[in-house]
Amino acid sequence: MSNLTMMTEEEKLEQFVQRIEAGDKIEADDWMPEEYRMALIKLISMHGISEIMGALPEKEWVPKAPSLHRKLGIMAKVQDEMGHGQLLLRVAEDLLKPYGKNRGDLMQDLFNGDLKFHNVFHMDTRTWGDAGLIGWLVDGAAIITQTNMLGASYGPYARALQRICAEEVFHAQHGEAIIMALAEGTEEQRAMVQDALNRWWDALLMFFGPASKDTTGSSKQDVTIKYKIRTKTNEQLRQAFFDKYVPRILSLGLKLPDPTMHYDEENKVWVYQQPDWAEFKKIIKNQGPRSQERLNLRRTSYENNAWVRDALAATVS
Amino acid sequence: MAEKTFYQEYEVFSKRTPSSAFQHQFSLLAPNEDMALVMAQENFMRREPVADIWIVNRKHIRAMDAEEKLTLGRLDNKQYRTTKGYGYLKKKWRHYEQQMLDEKEILSWGGDGK
Repeated sequence: MSNLTMMTEEEKLEQFVQRIEAGDKIEADDWMPEEYRMALIKLISMHGISEIMGALPEKEWVPKAPSLHRKLGIMAKVQDEMGHGQLLLRVAEDLLKPYGKNRGDLMQDLFNGDLKFHNVFHMDTRTWGDAGLIGWLVDGAAIITQTNMLGASYGPYARALQRICAEEVFHAQHGEAIIMALAEGTEEQRAMVQDALNRWWDALLMFFGPASKDTTGSSKQDVTIKYKIRTKTNEQLRQAFFDKYVPRILSLGLKLPDPTMHYDEENKVWVYQQPDWAEFKKIIKNQGPRSQERLNLRRTSYENNAWVRDALAATVS
Repeated sequence: MAEKTFYQEYEVFSKRTPSSAFQHQFSLLAPNEDMALVMAQENFMRREPVADIWIVNRKHIRAMDAEEKLTLGRLDNKQYRTTKGYGYLKKKWRHYEQQMLDEKEILSWGGDGK
């Protein structure tokens, strides 16, 4: 009954589904259906590379941060993001083993445009208000999606998220501190935050992805929910984000960029204007405002540091 | 081509205080043990206190496969090995107006003692 080598593929799949249903954690060396492995690779490599690409717009603010304290804070955060990228790439690499691929291949996929990164990291950052807003609301949105997967059926991903989310708490408060200082500052500083919110609003809505695959032609949410990698749909996550953050945005005296937005008490949902999903498709195809600059930055640093990898490789017997 | 063999996989363990047990943290890639130790600190110990770190090359770890893990299942008939099988003593001792020496009580004797 339990002899795995004697089992047919159908029996293995059946046992796999039973394990997931029972809340068991799947580990890297366990048998898993191809569909599950592929869904995880896509999700986790995109997540990992996005952490690294996300450090780029933030690092632009290290030299421009208004005080030494702020410089240290944002530098610590940039380092965390790279660390998160490391963790996630490790998880992705173990899944890629049967295909003989590693992070070098993922990096090439990124450069070729085969591996996407999160829409928000294709955008321009113009002021210190943007830096604060990213820390507060982009990280806030990321916390909503990441905590949704803390109970993921894939053990290594769940454990990585556990570490990541613990650090995200610091990130969230770091962003709040910047926004709070500006919101309690001069008229000009308050206007800076409002301007950042106005420009980032659509990107924040897009962050959770379209409500269904009808919008953009494909969506991974069904398969990730089926395999208990996540529990909530894109729209449920977006609504959870509104629940947590809209009251906070308003409490600071900021205005929602969407004047039609309101809470429908009867249906218990936020009613809001959809962002331009055609624009979203363009952005994630690396045709966003800063897509090419950021890819080039990553490409250049990867090429410039090749000699370090080569030099260290020589000491490996 | 060099990159295919550049990194080795290390599992990282650390302990928070000199008296705590080692705990598995995560894995990382490094070209050698010394770099692995440096990377372990950078990757996993940026904030919490740490008293010691071990790194272990994955190729030196003998893990269990799914088949072997099945042997870890236990039959629920070993109460004689655990305090659960002797729980009735509590009532007995009460009869003799004595308290049962349970795990909590016995493990408390190591301290400055009351």
